[in-house]
Amino acid sequence: MNPGESTPGTPGASGPAAFDDHGMSSFRTRLAWRRTALSAVAVGLLATRPAFAPGARSAPVLLAALAMAGWAALVGLAYRRARGLDARPPRPARRTVIAYALITVGFAVIGGLVVTL
Amino acid sequence: MAPFLTFEVDNRRVFGGVRQWFDPEKTESVGETPDYRFSLANERTFLAWVRTGLALIAGGLACAQFLPPLPIEHLREIIAIALLILGAVVALRAVDHWARTERAMRTGTELPASRFPAILAIVVATGALVLTIAVLIQALR
Repeated sequence: MNPGESTPGTPGASGPAAFDDHGMSSFRTRLAWRRTALSAVAVGLLATRPAFAPGARSAPVLLAALAMAGWAALVGLAYRRARGLDARPPRPARRTVIAYALITVGFAVIGGLVVTL
Repeated sequence: MAPFLTFEVDNRRVFGGVRQWFDPEKTESVGETPDYRFSLANERTFLAWVRTGLALIAGGLACAQFLPPLPIEHLREIIAIALLILGAVVALRAVDHWARTERAMRTGTELPASRFPAILAIVVATGALVLTIAVLIQALR
C-alpha cells in the first residue's frame, strides 16, 4: 500500500472516494501491529536469557523455545494482518486480535514458569 | 465498572464474552458495519493495550533476572509474578474491551465505559510508592 496515494474525499461517502485511506488509518494500523510485534522482542529475549546460563537444565531451554515460537507467531500474524489492511475497504480483524491477546497471556505464563523454575 | 466478560443482549445480561471472541461470525451479524476507520482505531487501541501488557511482562522478567536478592525473602519473585499477572490481565481486558467496543459500534450504542485505566494507574502508582519507601528505608538504615 502506498499511503501517499490517499486523496481528499467526503468521509463516509459511498463510491470509490469512501475507500480512500483518510488519515492513513490502514497504514497507521499496520505500523501499530508492527511495533507491537517488536515490543514482544523484549519479552522474548528476557524469557530466553536463562537458557543461555552455563549448565542450563532442559526446562529453561524448553521455555525459551516456546517464547521464541510465540514471538514468531506474533510476527507472522502481523504480516498476515497487513494483507487484510491492504484490502479496500480494509477487512476487520477478528481472530488475529484474539490470537495476540492469548499469546500475550501465554508469555505471562512462560514468564511465570521462568521465574519460579 | 462493566462486568468482565458479560454482554447485554436484548436487555438481558449474558455471560457470552469468551464465546463471542471465538465466534466472530456472530458479532458480524449484529447491527451494521461501522466506518472501517472506527474499527481500525479500536484495533490500534487494543494493540496499545497489548504493548502495555507486554511491557509489564518484560518488567516482571527483568525484575526476576536483574534485581539483587531483596531483604524480604522471595520479595523479588513476588514483585515479578505480580507484574506478570498484571500484564496478563491487561491483555485479557484489552481483548474484552475491543470486542465490546466493536459490538457497541455495530449496534450504535454508547461505547463501553471503563474504570480499568484508573485502576491500573492506581495499582502501578501504589507499587512504585511502596518500592520507593522500601528503597529509602534501606538507604537510611
